[in-house]
Amino acid sequence: MIRFLLARLLSAVPVLFVVSVVTFGLMWLVPGDISAELGGTDATAADLEAIRQRLGLDRPLWERALAWYGALLQGDLGYSYLLNRPVAEAVFERLPVTLSLAGLSLLLATVMGVLLGILAAVRHNTWVDRGATVVALIGLSTPDFWFGIVLIILFGVWLGWLPTGGFVPLSEDPVGWARSMVLPAFTLALTQMGVIARMTRSSMLDVLGQDYVRTARAKGMRRGTVIFRHALRNAMIPIVTVVGVITGVLLSGAVVIEQVYSLPGVGRLIIGAIQRRDFPVVQGGLLVTACVFVFVNIVVDLLYGWFDPRVRDAR
Amino acid sequence: MKPHRTIARAVRGLGVAGALALTAALAPGLVDAQTRGGHVIFAQGSNPPSLDGMVTSSQASRNITMNMYETLFGFSEAIVPIPILAEGYTVSDDGMTYVIPLRKGVMFHNGKEMTARDVKASLERYRRVGATANLLSPVREIEITGEYEVTFHMVAPAPTFIESFASPRAPAVIIPEDDADADPGKTSLVGTGPFKFVDYVPDSHVTLERFDGYSQDGRHDGPDGFGGRKTAWIDRVTFRVITEAGARVAALEAGEVHILEAIPMPAARRLASSPDITLFENMPWAFSVFILNAAAPPTDNLKVREAIQVGMNMEEVMAISSEGLYQLNHRWQYPGTTYDPGEIGAEYYNLGDIDRAKALLREAGYNGEEFVLLTDSNIPQHNKAAVVIAEQLKAMGINARINMVDWPTALNLRLQDSGWNGWTLQMGIEPYLGPVAVTATLASPARPHFVVPDPTLDALYQALISGPTVEARQATFRKIQQRLYEIFGIVKLGDSGIMAAARSNVKGYTAFRFPRMHDIWLEG
Amino acid sequence: MPADAAHAAAASLGAEIARARWRRRRQFAARLFGHPSFLIGFAILAAFVATAVLAPCIAPYGPTRINYRAILAPPSAAHWFGTDGFGRDILSRVVWGTRVSLEIGVSVVLLTGIFGTLLGTAASYVRPLDGPIMRFLDGLMAFPGVLLAIGLAAALGPSATNATIALTVAFTPRTARVVRASVMVVQEMQYIEAAHAVGAGHGRIVVRYILANALSPLIVQLTFVFAVAIIAEAVLSFLGVGPPPPAPSLGNIIADGRSYVQEAWWIAVFPGVVIAVAVLGLNLMGDGLRDVIDPRQRRLRHGA
Repeated sequence: MIRFLLARLLSAVPVLFVVSVVTFGLMWLVPGDISAELGGTDATAADLEAIRQRLGLDRPLWERALAWYGALLQGDLGYSYLLNRPVAEAVFERLPVTLSLAGLSLLLATVMGVLLGILAAVRHNTWVDRGATVVALIGLSTPDFWFGIVLIILFGVWLGWLPTGGFVPLSEDPVGWARSMVLPAFTLALTQMGVIARMTRSSMLDVLGQDYVRTARAKGMRRGTVIFRHALRNAMIPIVTVVGVITGVLLSGAVVIEQVYSLPGVGRLIIGAIQRRDFPVVQGGLLVTACVFVFVNIVVDLLYGWFDPRVRDAR
Repeated sequence: MKPHRTIARAVRGLGVAGALALTAALAPGLVDAQTRGGHVIFAQGSNPPSLDGMVTSSQASRNITMNMYETLFGFSEAIVPIPILAEGYTVSDDGMTYVIPLRKGVMFHNGKEMTARDVKASLERYRRVGATANLLSPVREIEITGEYEVTFHMVAPAPTFIESFASPRAPAVIIPEDDADADPGKTSLVGTGPFKFVDYVPDSHVTLERFDGYSQDGRHDGPDGFGGRKTAWIDRVTFRVITEAGARVAALEAGEVHILEAIPMPAARRLASSPDITLFENMPWAFSVFILNAAAPPTDNLKVREAIQVGMNMEEVMAISSEGLYQLNHRWQYPGTTYDPGEIGAEYYNLGDIDRAKALLREAGYNGEEFVLLTDSNIPQHNKAAVVIAEQLKAMGINARINMVDWPTALNLRLQDSGWNGWTLQMGIEPYLGPVAVTATLASPARPHFVVPDPTLDALYQALISGPTVEARQATFRKIQQRLYEIFGIVKLGDSGIMAAARSNVKGYTAFRFPRMHDIWLEG
Repeated sequence: MPADAAHAAAASLGAEIARARWRRRRQFAARLFGHPSFLIGFAILAAFVATAVLAPCIAPYGPTRINYRAILAPPSAAHWFGTDGFGRDILSRVVWGTRVSLEIGVSVVLLTGIFGTLLGTAASYVRPLDGPIMRFLDGLMAFPGVLLAIGLAAALGPSATNATIALTVAFTPRTARVVRASVMVVQEMQYIEAAHAVGAGHGRIVVRYILANALSPLIVQLTFVFAVAIIAEAVLSFLGVGPPPPAPSLGNIIADGRSYVQEAWWIAVFPGVVIAVAVLGLNLMGDGLRDVIDPRQRRLRHGA
């Protein structure tokens, strides 16, 4: 178990290296740098050059890369000229917003998806099944950012029930936090709810058709017990896999939803940094995000083993 | 908690006469019933690049920093330089020395009193890191000539020095001597303004709170432009960054924010009759311009540039890019201001004469060369103008293509000699500052806007800054206006405005170049 | 066994396989169009493609025609979907916008298919390459796809071509994985060993036997890539790095409408509905394809 964990962690190192190299490559390709942002409209070419020199942007790329990796090995993600603070500080301050958005929508998507899927499977080939399938498909096909805009029009503008954007930290005001997260989390959950519902439905159908479930039913066990205790437990393996894949998708989707709802998460930080050419933030932000990705994948692998004794015993 | 608010409520119960008497007792010289306390939330579209007041010329920063810091001189409401932290100034007859006594008893947010040492240190720092450091290039040396007095020794006489020194573009703010060596953005963010810094979460918000040790300028009765007698009533102000215009409007309607820097015109029209919202028109606010690249074909040809000038329908561009808040104006000054050059050039403006444009293009031998219209995705006015212009150019038979990039890239590309032919820009602060600032962006050596220098224009610029009297400078500026309509290096599209909006319970707010958080208060 | 006899045997086997394949194809098509999801999905996609191809005939106005006297007009007889901030007809822009979406979608599918196949096959067939290629792809997959695409689009500049490149880079890793997985299964099969034994060249084995048999999961995967690419184009445009104005794309029309959700909801809503319907069609088609190609794989669904 521990060896497995160590091996997985070690295998993440080359992945993260690739991430950092690709990021550096991107930075090299992107035209312009932060001097324009700092200098403003009126700055002349000479002014910009002076800013570049001051920030060391005139040094060759490999030199900057070396300095960056050197600092990274000491646990330093660099310094943002624009935010005027260490990159790590900025990223870790934003990370909880993104993680809680992704986490909340994962919860919503899983609960709604699994329920919808079970409903469809249990009422197989009835209008309930077809209805659930259509709902899942529509969820799957709707662009989430557009759905977000529609929800803002509906709940924020017309009904006025929920804020149209912005963020309240959990520590400041739990109710305000919940209100600010409802729409974003629901928006983000919609697409993935469809994925989970479809998965649950087909997985449940497989399990419900198997002998032991029929036996349990034949022995007179209550329908609910059979569904939730026996069938769902076994149908969980593929569902967990899908949930694992989805976590990555949700983290990625959170980036866009943060834009739609003006949430101060890592995605908005990185997008803003790309637009303003704040390279250290882009590099540090992407690296941290990638770490989260890799970590999530390891957790999913572990969960997978927990749900499937065959995998667990094989280790 | 807020005794004044309670009093104000009681006041309203007393009826008008009693109210006036009581208010007068509370705040001498003012008629309305101000309420002390409250937290105002102001929303703006972009993140301030820095809160270090002198290092950036961005409006997003100025909105905030002008509430935190003050300068020696600044513009009044009537755009005349007035002393703010200075007592005044005297110029020697040869124009080579400026003696500037300072106001006494002015406190920084850190509790220390401002002295000549702080002033010298701040201005020396401005020379090094100020975003428009050339402001101080006429000054050879800054000498401390007293505890509360500095003397500027000039390189050469500069008749318009105080005007440009008072410029709020990248304000030469006074900060404590302790911060003098700080790198850009690394100061303690301490100033002398009516509000002091609390916290800054980039991409989210900046919070300021009232500075209770603020030293009011007793020479005025109330605020005047960037200076005057400032009174902070509200406890706190938060500048929230909401990048999306629609989200800003929704937040205002929901009461989550009190004041919007700019509200899109369609929303303004919708809310005009709402009792909860008050609108503040800032007109004129900026020049909309279209800069042509005289270094790259086909726009290196004067006839092609003239064709574009006469073929364009400025009204269509302005109506769409400003969403209807504009005035047609061919002048390189706002109408009715001191340097208004009159009708010069009007005969080339807003003609929409496609046939004449086509004839000129034929004369120029234009043969379908590509016209790259550079614009950015960040500022809607820029890219909307570009879209309309592109359609108009196509109607003239010009092979126009829009290259929309993000703002930093656009700033970078337009410094190149080739790769673009036209660039759309809002000139916000320069027209406000007057003819020198406008011309400076077009003439050598600063000249970020023209790629190919025009010697005649450069000479006129020199004449303008050294013109000894207003009349002399007015005459020069008329020549500048004339010249701009001879070289067609830059097309004046018109003047656009911006519309600010506030919740109706915000009182005392007025439209100005930056949102003044002093002298406003919350009612109810 | 003499070599020519082996070749003859292989040739007759090949002819047999070809006949069987033809039969299977006809049955396959029949089953496919008998599948309701596929049929509906196909019809939607056909309508979408027809709209894109016939845009000049369908659109009532030019997609970039400006009219400053009809700014933000609500839906009416003259403008079914209303107009935008330039007074341009939204219906015409949506109709023309389907072209850009389709172009980007098709290009991304083709490029992703090609690169995914090359990388996936190389990784599974040439063992020493497996490690490096997969680590590289894992690295790309460790980015949130949107951020990678935004970074690339910012680097290359906003244009339809660059959006295509960005999306291809973002989607290729997953496709390559699908190909690699199915090639791995196929190449262990006995007939591949047989082909090796009779001395068939590597190129022939890969193309003729392995890829031909690993194609089904790839096609299913690509229908979903198509669907996701159409959404992703809209996302990129929404974030300002998609195809630039004035040419309409479904995404940049929504982005235009973002500022007017209250005054002119029609700008953002209509193109969004069109995207949702088109993607729904592709998903239905993909589901149908998957059911028919490989009923056991019903649950294998790859998000992006």
